[in-house]
Amino acid sequence: MTHSLHRRGSIEDLREDFVLLVIPPRDENSQESEETQGKMKQVWEVFSHYEKDLSNFGNGLSLLPMDVLKSNKAKTIAHAVFKDRETLKACVRELRDRQFGISVVISGLYEEVNKICSELDFSPHTVEHSLGAHGQTERLPGKNILEITTMCGHHTVSPYLAMHLVERINKGKMTYEKAAKELSRMCTCGIFNPHRAENILRRLTSKA
Amino acid sequence: MKINDLECNGCKLCQPYCPVGAIKNPKGQGKAVSQIDQEECVECGACLRAAVCPKDALYMPELTWPRTLREAFSNPLVRHPSTGVPGRGTSEMKTNDRTGRFRRGEAGVAIEVGRPGVGATFRDIQVVSMELAKVGIEFELQNPVSALMVDRETGRLKEEVLDEKVLSAIVEFKVKNDRLESVLKAVKELATKVDTVFSVDLISRIYPDGSIPTVPIAKKMGFSPSPNTKTNLGLGRPLKED
Repeated sequence: MTHSLHRRGSIEDLREDFVLLVIPPRDENSQESEETQGKMKQVWEVFSHYEKDLSNFGNGLSLLPMDVLKSNKAKTIAHAVFKDRETLKACVRELRDRQFGISVVISGLYEEVNKICSELDFSPHTVEHSLGAHGQTERLPGKNILEITTMCGHHTVSPYLAMHLVERINKGKMTYEKAAKELSRMCTCGIFNPHRAENILRRLTSKA
Repeated sequence: MKINDLECNGCKLCQPYCPVGAIKNPKGQGKAVSQIDQEECVECGACLRAAVCPKDALYMPELTWPRTLREAFSNPLVRHPSTGVPGRGTSEMKTNDRTGRFRRGEAGVAIEVGRPGVGATFRDIQVVSMELAKVGIEFELQNPVSALMVDRETGRLKEEVLDEKVLSAIVEFKVKNDRLESVLKAVKELATKVDTVFSVDLISRIYPDGSIPTVPIAKKMGFSPSPNTKTNLGLGRPLKED
């Protein structure tokens, strides 16, 4: 389940794309325990402090409003997508200070994540790299489309939908913002970054 | 997924939502309704969730084994029968600070067959598992592909699942760092043997001096580790240290 790993893009683009995951281990009955669920609820409360600066968020199962996520019985995972490292750093600082003891993972530029850890005076534990796509790569869609679709790690954001929406934008039938939201709603985990998708759509349509 | 052809008005609104392009209007068949190519459909449910059909013509029939595997591996909202949670793999490194699954001196490797977005049959996935078994790796027991193996020594999968197509499936294992070079050589060679694409993930502990021992090995073997990673911050408690 490496759904946030293989995001593609230039370094500049990736500076606006960080996914924060908070997840308890599966194998200690801890996900279902009252204690963990209570802590996960508090994690959502922390996320809510940054809501206006988040590009997206979700619990991996459905796209719900922050108020609902804050008050619901918390589920197994909490995701939030940040578009700038300073807000991300503030959120990580708060998570560290609250000492939930639940694993925190960031998908994003390692150089930036490592710096954030250093600035907050702790060392990261484990890292996972993407070594890219191999095999019949000629079957993959174009670079910009792939940058959009890989923001949904389960690939339920269709490349055909991205191309269809580009066509709609070019015909003046849809705005960039609406197209980015339409793509985003197909990612049920809430890790798709509509802010970044909007920028990619602008690039795609300006080339048309 | 199926389309009720008595209800479908052929508007094509659902078609772009299919990640594998399986919904089409076949030509020369009279009424131009949309149909789903059942060989290509991976049962991810995206078309139904899109909720764009003005006639509610899309429906999920009751799936039977082994077609149920398509949904289990492709629909992120479906709990996988072998792991009990939604998703195609395991928690891998996300909770490594709590579980200690990957220790210093070890590398975690995952081959995500069919990713990004092309999809794969279990026949493709078996090519990967059998080639990797030859270099002597041990498959991750909690992984749902491992649960489909009839022989974990050879990586052979159950015969009846081989023609099922999924959006992607993950072959997971870990090796000692001193064996990583030979494993990555075998991974490199898979590129000419599979009838799809695959993405490669590499997991390592970060050493106290900040070094990541797997990165130079991957580079030596001709891979380009991504600048964006997944990083476990080590805030889980109690912390598993080596």
